[in-house]
Amino acid sequence: MKDIRQEQFTKAVGNAAEINELLRRYGVKFGIYKNGVFNEQFFPFDPIPRVISAEDFKSIEKGLVQRVNALNEFLFDIYHEKKIVKDGIIPEDFIYISKGYLAECEGITPKNKIYSHISGIDLVQAKDGVWYILEDNLRIPSGASYPLIARELTRIAAPQAFEENEIVDNRGYAQLLKETMEHANCGGIRAILTSGRYNAAYFEHSYLAENTGSVLVQNDELFVEDNILYHRTYSGGKTRIGVLYRRISDEFLDPLTFLPESLIGIPNLMEAYRSGNVGIVNAPGNGVADDKGIYYFVPKMIKYYLGEEPILKNAPTYLPFYEQDMRYVMDNLEKLVIKDVAEAGGYGVVFGRDLTKEKLEEFRKTIIAEPRRFIAQEVIDFLDLPILDNGETVMRKADLRAFVLSGETTRVWASGLTRFSRNPDSFVVNSSQGGGFKDTWVLKEKE
Amino acid sequence: MKQVSFYYSTKLTFDDYVHDHSFALRIIPPETETQKITACNLNISPYVSTQQTKDAFGNNVTAGYLKGDHRFLDFEIKGTARTDCTKHRTDYMPCYLYPSEYTKPDGELKEFYGEIKSKCTGTVQDRAEYLCDTLSDVMEYQKGATDTATTAADAFGLKKGVCQDFSHILISLLRLDGIAARYIAGLAFCNGETHSWVEYWTGDHWEGIDPSNNCCVSDDYLVISQGRDFRDCAIDRGVMFGNHTRQLQLVRSVLT
Repeated sequence: MKDIRQEQFTKAVGNAAEINELLRRYGVKFGIYKNGVFNEQFFPFDPIPRVISAEDFKSIEKGLVQRVNALNEFLFDIYHEKKIVKDGIIPEDFIYISKGYLAECEGITPKNKIYSHISGIDLVQAKDGVWYILEDNLRIPSGASYPLIARELTRIAAPQAFEENEIVDNRGYAQLLKETMEHANCGGIRAILTSGRYNAAYFEHSYLAENTGSVLVQNDELFVEDNILYHRTYSGGKTRIGVLYRRISDEFLDPLTFLPESLIGIPNLMEAYRSGNVGIVNAPGNGVADDKGIYYFVPKMIKYYLGEEPILKNAPTYLPFYEQDMRYVMDNLEKLVIKDVAEAGGYGVVFGRDLTKEKLEEFRKTIIAEPRRFIAQEVIDFLDLPILDNGETVMRKADLRAFVLSGETTRVWASGLTRFSRNPDSFVVNSSQGGGFKDTWVLKEKE
Repeated sequence: MKQVSFYYSTKLTFDDYVHDHSFALRIIPPETETQKITACNLNISPYVSTQQTKDAFGNNVTAGYLKGDHRFLDFEIKGTARTDCTKHRTDYMPCYLYPSEYTKPDGELKEFYGEIKSKCTGTVQDRAEYLCDTLSDVMEYQKGATDTATTAADAFGLKKGVCQDFSHILISLLRLDGIAARYIAGLAFCNGETHSWVEYWTGDHWEGIDPSNNCCVSDDYLVISQGRDFRDCAIDRGVMFGNHTRQLQLVRSVLT
């Protein structure tokens, strides 16, 4: 049935050129740094949608809500009592060696105890239909605007596809985001902080500001006075900001607390935040929960905090930190995928099978020397999705970034960003590695 | 127990006007088990409204924002306190056991620790004192060889430094030895400047040790701030805008 829908849709769209031309015209781009040079690249769109049945989505949704709730509990615990460490569930080392743990955030309680307001959870579906969590992104996950704008454009290019298929409308994302920001609001206007047009996701920052009724700001328009964050108005006045959806990294956020050399931060923002005068979306210090080393412990967190069995599975993961796991990794290196815990965006991901014998030996030594730096995972044989390549349908690896928003309740956006690898031999789908994206259709439940 | 008076001042002067000047001071001594603050007065000039918070490490933070043009920022604190080092502080944080930016050991420091490790035995106190002794044997106290950006590894390479460097290296060694340790910025009796020393965790409380003078901390020490290393304890941090090219900082401090 799924294939019929896709075929219909492909026919309806005719070919991708028209939509890609529209995207180009609208300026949907993705910035990439390579060898220190900034390039704005076009993020290629594939017209064949990924279709997720209502039933499938329901179980993913439940699993994601559970996971994000546990992660929020974990963050509160780590920056307060640290019960999960005291009870021996997670070894202390994993918390305090993690670059994402920020001692400066100890004791801070964000409004409603929510740390991760917007979580981007990456999943893949294996050939047997089982969904696996690949990683959690709880700092500043990007990508929500691409499926939004792609849907808008496909509605223009192929309106009949939406008449014939029962697809959940995904245009509510901005409203969802707005409600989430409002829930974190400590009194004042909503603002989205960008580092400017050279940021990889600048397009998205401006798109979301426009659609959530927030002001898009850069740091030189903001200041903290009496521990209150203000926006400088053109007339020389000031407007209080109650919630700041920041799209810059923790370490650059406040030069008086973190990196003193940061030129994109707001001095004393952390004082305003600590005083409860402004909400920061997402909370600083979240990196300790989406650390690739901590990922291993998320199913344990779900049991520990919620007393529930995890609904969604992790990919089978090994920590060379544990002796037993180290032995397994050493014996099976050539069939595993190794990830450097300090890297993001598809950087620092190595497939054992791609390495020459010498490289493999070299890598073995690196892992033995720095066991805490790596995790190893079984390569999941994930489902290929059809994509259009010069008019022909070919099969490529794809993942799904689901967006989970935590406000009054935790909700999963019924859409998501499906990214695919354009290289037939590659499993790496990150947009910063030159992949493309598709629209994600979540089908309505049958009446 | 001892009654002490403290005074500290900084005069920041710029060679051109600056504006939109945000600052955070860690200058008001905290009230703890080992020191009761009996009087304390902070003056900042030009006049600016400020707010007080307590940071993650238990330090008093005074934050302010000077919007208009100005060419100087002066702050001065004076007060009295009762110090009592027979009492103990117990505000432990696990991060004090892990390397921090300034105290991360390099190969040389690790090698040095490896050589002396076998002699570092006994109680936590014995080990801390042994490390402090060893350190004062190899390090020479010398001003001007290092600056506030010097790390433990760099200073150890030079075998020279001031109290900040001695503290960083001792913290680095203590943490290598599995003893949690923290950096203390404060005022000490015999010293005309701000001083720094180290506290190590005995397993149930903090104990002070002064690596620059290779001695234990007495009632003649007043804590101003504490943290993983110097960066958490900087007395003043600021960001400002303007065409100034230089700033001059004059510091005076007294503990009597």
